[in-house]
Amino acid sequence: MRDVCIVGIGSTPFGRHAGTPIEQLAVRAAAEALRDSGVDRGRIGALYLGNFISGPLNGKEILAGIVGDQLGLPNIPCTKVEGACASGGIAFRHAWMAIASGQCDAAVAVGAETMTHAAGAQVTAALNCAMDNEDDAPSGLTFPGLFGLAWRIHAQRYGTTRAQVSAVVRKNKAYGLRNPLAQMGADLTDADIAASAAICDPLQLFDCCPTSDGAAAVVLAARPLPSDLQSVPVDILASVQTRGAARIAGHPDLCSFDATVSAAQRAYAMAGIAPTDVDVVELHDCFSIAEVIDSEDLGLVPRGQGGAWALEGRTAVDGQVAINPSGGLLAKGHPVGATGVGQIYEIVRQLRGTHANQVRGAKIGMTHNLGGTGVACTVSLLRRAA
Amino acid sequence: MTAAAPSDLTLPMLRCASCGYLDTPSHAVCRACLSTNLQPVEVPAIGRIVSFTTIRRAPSRFRDQAPYHVAVVDLDAGPRVTGRLAAGPPALALGARVCALSAEPTDLLFTIRDNS
Repeated sequence: MRDVCIVGIGSTPFGRHAGTPIEQLAVRAAAEALRDSGVDRGRIGALYLGNFISGPLNGKEILAGIVGDQLGLPNIPCTKVEGACASGGIAFRHAWMAIASGQCDAAVAVGAETMTHAAGAQVTAALNCAMDNEDDAPSGLTFPGLFGLAWRIHAQRYGTTRAQVSAVVRKNKAYGLRNPLAQMGADLTDADIAASAAICDPLQLFDCCPTSDGAAAVVLAARPLPSDLQSVPVDILASVQTRGAARIAGHPDLCSFDATVSAAQRAYAMAGIAPTDVDVVELHDCFSIAEVIDSEDLGLVPRGQGGAWALEGRTAVDGQVAINPSGGLLAKGHPVGATGVGQIYEIVRQLRGTHANQVRGAKIGMTHNLGGTGVACTVSLLRRAA
Repeated sequence: MTAAAPSDLTLPMLRCASCGYLDTPSHAVCRACLSTNLQPVEVPAIGRIVSFTTIRRAPSRFRDQAPYHVAVVDLDAGPRVTGRLAAGPPALALGARVCALSAEPTDLLFTIRDNS
């Protein structure tokens, strides 16, 4: 396997892009990433695009080819990948694999989604395509409902409190206020969170990420790097994809995701590092309690202490391990197919030292992207180039 | 099942004729041994609550039923199923014994059996 670097990044703001076609968001992000890298378009050998529900919500497929065409890329393979909320992370990993395996020397990974134009019920129905519609959906379970189930077990087993989970919400919403790409930053109190609408017990509205439009893109290249490179490169130490249980009943433990646990273990082994080496993490906080669970599944926080660490500030930018300084999905937003690539964008900014919520001296960063009811997961480890 | 007491209701499952693995009906092959020789069986609709939640914002096809309670239940027979609960907190606790009031595949409804 060859060494691969991230050499360019681009992103639209996450939020509402009323009237802008999804392919234009994707092209805007990818063009920014190409300009950022300085790499000539003629060198790009593959494009992978992560998207989840452009078919049902926009009536648009073949997005990868449309984006490659509008970018004026050569006559290269352009491939759409789908893994629900992990679609973006999967696109990134495929671009890395194409280069690492020697199929091409440079590639583009882009993620895109538009959701806010559709009616709420239409979005819910589309998102529920990522659930087991034979065994799980007939009960009326929803995605927030899945995390309500998980929260109850976490609270009973580990004593996790509302105040601890609210600390996750307050942290991420506050970081969102300072991230220019974030959709829904806010300065919240515990009382604000408790007073927000009840979604499914124990989740309130502020425990849930918003629906969003947006796109993000990165350019990857093999070492030795192209001579026309303009940016500070970031090394990809590992990029792992795993499958987890496809239905609720398949999870050995409802407050842990086996796909995350195994992806993290393999990523640490591939990179030859330990969880304590990680300085900054963008993880899949689709719901507040998800950040608690993910931080434990990734081995960053001892099992059962995710809530306590958040409340004690140990996951803040100046804490032991900085979690979601972008604001995470809770505040930055969750344009589903774009999220995984957006996480890479955020970590690259951290490792370049140019983030709005900069983790001082960050050398190693991690991304974690989780799809469906835990059926697909990607974990990547990135390092500031020496 | 018309005059049956709640605890007498049964749920349809598939048992692998090759290895004996028991799973929900939505399968074409045995996940344990890949056999396609799956025999329909009925198992008692009793078990324990793994966890539960109350859905207050429901998908459109369930909107007129909200709020409603959804639970994951470990059946005594083995399989784990997702269904509805007739009553919510504070009567419920994780690990509570439940039995089905209705065991139709599209209408699986549990209630608390006792507090053991």
